[in-house]
Amino acid sequence: MTVEIRKAASGGLWKHRHFYLFIAPFFLLFAIFGLYPLLFSLYLSFVKWDGLTPAHWVGLSNFQKMLGDDQLWTALGNTVVIGLLYVPPMMILAFLFAQWLNAPWLKFKALYRAAFFIPCVTPMAVIAFVFQLIFSSEHGVLNYALQHLFPWLHLSPIPWLESESWSKAAIAILVVWRWTGYNMVLMLAGLQGIPADYYEAAELDGASKIQQMLHITLPLLRPTLAFCGLLSLLGTLYMFDEIFVMTNGGPGSSSTNFGMYLFQISFDDFRLGYASCVAYSVSITVIVATTLMNRANRRALDEGRR
Amino acid sequence: MNPTRKWRRTVERGAIYAILTIFALVFLFPFYWLLISAFKTQGQMFAMPPQWIPHPATLQNFSDLFHKTNLPRAFVNSVIVSGANVFFSVFLCSLAGYAFAKYPLAPGRDRLYNFVLGTMLIPSAVTLIPSYMILVRLHWIDSYAALIVPGLVGAFGIFWMRQYMIANVPDDLINAARIDGCSEFGIYWRIVVPVARPALAALGIMQLIGSWNNLMWAFIVLRTKDMYTLPLVIYLLNGENTQPYGMLMAGGLLTTLPLVLAFLFFQKQFIAGITSGAVKQ
Repeated sequence: MTVEIRKAASGGLWKHRHFYLFIAPFFLLFAIFGLYPLLFSLYLSFVKWDGLTPAHWVGLSNFQKMLGDDQLWTALGNTVVIGLLYVPPMMILAFLFAQWLNAPWLKFKALYRAAFFIPCVTPMAVIAFVFQLIFSSEHGVLNYALQHLFPWLHLSPIPWLESESWSKAAIAILVVWRWTGYNMVLMLAGLQGIPADYYEAAELDGASKIQQMLHITLPLLRPTLAFCGLLSLLGTLYMFDEIFVMTNGGPGSSSTNFGMYLFQISFDDFRLGYASCVAYSVSITVIVATTLMNRANRRALDEGRR
Repeated sequence: MNPTRKWRRTVERGAIYAILTIFALVFLFPFYWLLISAFKTQGQMFAMPPQWIPHPATLQNFSDLFHKTNLPRAFVNSVIVSGANVFFSVFLCSLAGYAFAKYPLAPGRDRLYNFVLGTMLIPSAVTLIPSYMILVRLHWIDSYAALIVPGLVGAFGIFWMRQYMIANVPDDLINAARIDGCSEFGIYWRIVVPVARPALAALGIMQLIGSWNNLMWAFIVLRTKDMYTLPLVIYLLNGENTQPYGMLMAGGLLTTLPLVLAFLFFQKQFIAGITSGAVKQ
């Protein structure tokens, strides 16, 4: 009798209790460390708080402050410049490597793949210091190599980490080194999803290698390329370890990207309310922008199919 | 095939091998530099022209490192934190992923799943401050738990486990076990876990790398030297004006080595893991 009442009251819930039991541990932690922080951060966006004295409500003034915050706009500008410096070479290299590693005749594939991929699994706290040595202007191996490989250019030592105009390039080189292999692996998976008969048919029709790339590979790889692009966009915006260890955002604020700036206003200045407001605003903007881009991309794909 | 075409093909392939090999060496060069710099004195490190092989090689950096920092302790801390993070995240995500994959009739299943997945879009930068505040409230600052627990709630693990189990764990196997009187948790533990082992390994290695390398969070939540993890010890060797590059390189080598070995060992699973997200797109 009681069992029947319980069943009636909870409908399918009791019957499927194992489902809820199995997801419960994850959801418990998720509620504390995922959901609650999201909501709390939203609340913080509307207050002024240093973490010690009581917070007080300031309404929309944090949002207003953002518009006049030169440091924020500098950081966002730096983010764009760093992205423009590294994304094109990284994507081109990743695409070429993936294309070549996908060739059936290539030997030592696993070796090449490991060599390109391994940078992205290594600790940045270590690698950034190695790059500091390599980038050293007077005693660094990079300037030494540049001067000896291209003696006719008469290069003077490049102040990679000491000058405001070169620090972004140094970060870009580090990022290309670190993330090319990752993108290559994603593109390789995309390439392996393209049926081989497409190329065989094109070959029979007399299409050249370049034509095959333009009319088969690139269009079919478009979703993968879009995914890599999205990862790069988010990666550049929120990049932290690379910059924190190698340049700490300097010299001046020349290599401070958005992630670095957010860390500084949160944990150096303790402007917790304002930092939450900035983090929320930029993230929402990015989510909206990528959703719109994604939709436009889908529409273009659908039209292409028709 | 006529001889000119064959010859052209040989040249083309040779060029591709050459380019790939040059780039592979360039990509591996920083590791070589880390390795040999660890055995150089500060003077040798900045010598011009560069010393491609340390001559004479020194072990001074390693002995300095072991005298001035508590590296064995940091190593143990890193192993505990990463080990616990890997174990718990694989357990929680596979259990929840299994539930999402194989209990299609449970009310609210899809809504819950989509909700968790939706939070993947929001970067951890947004939740940094509140997560820190929660750890303060719980008195977890400067503890292992502060490094282990917040990292467990990533939605990617659930997504990846669910995908794998839908594709690779047959319903018949589960139903047969149920008819034989196996308990629901028994089905997960004795049937699903062994079948999904490759997926568990992939998630495990991804968590291991993220957690072993984690610098920012360790920097924020750790206070006392005895709690420091390897990346934090290395990072904090870094002085205001002078950098002890010898110790940095020696410590860096010891921090990087276990991870590189783990990667080489689990390379296949790891790559399967990161590509799963892209293929789904």
